[in-house]
Amino acid sequence: MSVTVKITVAEPSVIIRSGIIAVIGNAENLKAEIYEVSEIDQLKTVLSWQHPDILLVNPASLGLYPLQQLKKDTGNSEMKCVALQFAFADHAVLKGYDDTISVYDSTETVNDKLAKLVSEPERDRRHESLSGREKEVIACVVQGMTNKQIADKLFISTHTVITHRRNISAKLGIHSPAGLTIYAIVNKLVELDDIKDSVEELSGE
Amino acid sequence: MQRIGRYTKNDLMSDLVSDNYRVLLLMSRFGIGLGFGDSTIDEVCRANGVDTPTFIAVTNMLLYDEIPADVYDKISMEALVTYLHNSHDYFLGFRLPAIREKLVETVGMHDDLSRAIMKYFDDYTEGVHTHMAYEEEVVFPYVRALLEGRRSGNYSIGIFSRHHDQVETLLTEFKNILIKYYPSASTNEINNVLFDIFNCENDLASHNAVEDLLFVPAVGRLEKKLEEEG
Repeated sequence: MSVTVKITVAEPSVIIRSGIIAVIGNAENLKAEIYEVSEIDQLKTVLSWQHPDILLVNPASLGLYPLQQLKKDTGNSEMKCVALQFAFADHAVLKGYDDTISVYDSTETVNDKLAKLVSEPERDRRHESLSGREKEVIACVVQGMTNKQIADKLFISTHTVITHRRNISAKLGIHSPAGLTIYAIVNKLVELDDIKDSVEELSGE
Repeated sequence: MQRIGRYTKNDLMSDLVSDNYRVLLLMSRFGIGLGFGDSTIDEVCRANGVDTPTFIAVTNMLLYDEIPADVYDKISMEALVTYLHNSHDYFLGFRLPAIREKLVETVGMHDDLSRAIMKYFDDYTEGVHTHMAYEEEVVFPYVRALLEGRRSGNYSIGIFSRHHDQVETLLTEFKNILIKYYPSASTNEINNVLFDIFNCENDLASHNAVEDLLFVPAVGRLEKKLEEEG
């Protein structure tokens, strides 16, 4: 990932703060621009101009100040919040946090968690509707065609077919041809005659 | 007192079952029937020829996700394999066929959509068969040989654990397809099937967890012990 991620680390202890910054700084899959906040009292002011993508904070130091309120007050509605944990905390305390990082987590775990938070757009894809081409690909898959056959029929490369199939899976949450068949029939993506043979053969009739 | 997790062998079996009705599923797989009155867990297990520590370990793991560090020294591998085998019988011989029957009643076999749905479920069942048959035909015989002190060929439990897939994920997909795309009125029948699928999905995940977290590490220790004995 080449995009720079802005991360604010709010932690009074200089030892813990420096440790976290060192761990994040060594990440291979994450390019981070890190801000430090040592005085929790100043957090609100600081967030108002920093506008980080991710805030790392120990829930205990925020006290009863709700995260939602913090996001609203500082104009950071999209900011992801990660709870920094030194010990096991009650679920209620962690409410509103997008993830938690324990001080005992490995470098990989910490960076994977952070990278995951900023690659969220992939999840949003599920709500996109299928493109015309993707519907054509589904129709072919449902008829039992191989990637090569689909590529030849639609005059595209096999590689493109695979990309389409991956996007279809991400959008629909369906990964198997049998599942796509159900989707295609419900949404009338195929002429019933087209799949008659394959469905009947498949259901063992 | 022998303590493996939250429930101990001196607790009453009837308390355990009343508190957690899902224990009923474990009991039938261990071959323990009802009608045990006020006997303790240990007494009931003994009366049914079941290894008590293994029963308690599986119970505590399923109910509370508790896997005490010393659990592997206490459980009986024979009892665990029998349990897993009975568990396979339950899913393949009872649970999945029961869901299929309800599915046929609800969805029918009258048009292409219903046939496609049944086809999905049958494919899935077939996959579960393959998954479990591998364990029955390769893994369990391997473990039985280990118990007799023989290491057969190059096989190791590591090979199994690397290829052990989550058998419930496709059922999750199937359930989501029904929920999102199956055009149906909200009938009692379709709810009934969906509840069964939700439950079965949970049970399969638990079953897999016992294999991954209890069975595989225990077999690993057995392998190591044999190696050390040379």
